[in-house]
Amino acid sequence: MSQSLRPYLSCVRSTLTAALSLSNFASQAAERHNVPEIEAQSSPELLLNPLTVSRNQEERVLVEPSVNSVRVSIRIKQADEIEHILVHKFTRFLTQRAEAFFVLRRKAVEGYDISFLITNFHTEEMLKHKLVDFIIQFMEEVDKEISEMKLFLNARARFVAESFLTPFD
Amino acid sequence: MAAINWRTINIDALDPESAYNFDLSTLTPTIQPISTPDVQTLSGQIRQLLRGGNAEGALRGALENAPYGADEQGKVMPQALHTTLVTECLNQIRATEMSPLLQRIYQSDGGSELCDTLMKYLYKGMGQGAASHTSGNVHGGGGGRNLTPQATGGFTQAGGRSFGGGEGGMSVFLSWHEKLVEMVGPGSIVRVMSDRRTV
Repeated sequence: MSQSLRPYLSCVRSTLTAALSLSNFASQAAERHNVPEIEAQSSPELLLNPLTVSRNQEERVLVEPSVNSVRVSIRIKQADEIEHILVHKFTRFLTQRAEAFFVLRRKAVEGYDISFLITNFHTEEMLKHKLVDFIIQFMEEVDKEISEMKLFLNARARFVAESFLTPFD
Repeated sequence: MAAINWRTINIDALDPESAYNFDLSTLTPTIQPISTPDVQTLSGQIRQLLRGGNAEGALRGALENAPYGADEQGKVMPQALHTTLVTECLNQIRATEMSPLLQRIYQSDGGSELCDTLMKYLYKGMGQGAASHTSGNVHGGGGGRNLTPQATGGFTQAGGRSFGGGEGGMSVFLSWHEKLVEMVGPGSIVRVMSDRRTV
């Protein structure tokens, strides 16, 4: 792991551990409803201060806590246009299958590439430290995945260009 | 009548009794507003301490006198000034001195409050880069076009001027955060989230 990635991930880990102390809280606006307050935004006193953890200008995590839900948004590193396209395709693939991931949000928060929405029902059903581990692992993997895809893409492009240009050699 | 779509009116906003109109100021403890000149004189004193080599005293003074309730029209100014001041203090302190310094601050009188304030400034500092970057994207128009290395390179220079550091100075905040959490635990982060007195 690179030198600056470790403190970044440990910072995200401690922030998430602190933010994931959720309790069941029924909606104040409508009777017999129970909605994630961070999405409903119906009562300002239930929302806590949002926290940003950033590694540099390009990579950051936004944690928006509330009484019964936490929204975690990740901005993935995109150094150039190819990485931007790859990140877009990758996150689109994941968000289209959001129901299989339980905590994944169908649409990312503006300015970020992928968002997770963790409610008190998730923390009741699943182990909290495993949820944190999942997000940390996702962040570790996604960088590797994107740079790997970029290498493959470049290798394939070179091969295609070579075989295309052989007849003119 | 036809001009507005009445289905999209948020009726909760019109009802003074609803939770949507909860008065947040009732949750904030009363704090005296601090004006911009006061903060400027304070930052002058703290910079003098910094130049004298007393980084610990400077950091302590900056954290003890954090402006919470600035006057309404100048709300942003004093707080932004103070954030750059705290960032300067943090940049001055070498990595080897962090742990003993934090230990001393934590064990002194009211040390845990100072550590909470420091934690607020660490998150503020990390959030600042994100905020300025997003606004930069807004000015640039289409987000995709702004991704060229040239554009971001120009931006890193702007960030580096105010924070000092190749990665916009984020590594400073991250290492301070790591040391601080090691000592005071995650409770400090919870207090940053739940404290309405934002820095």
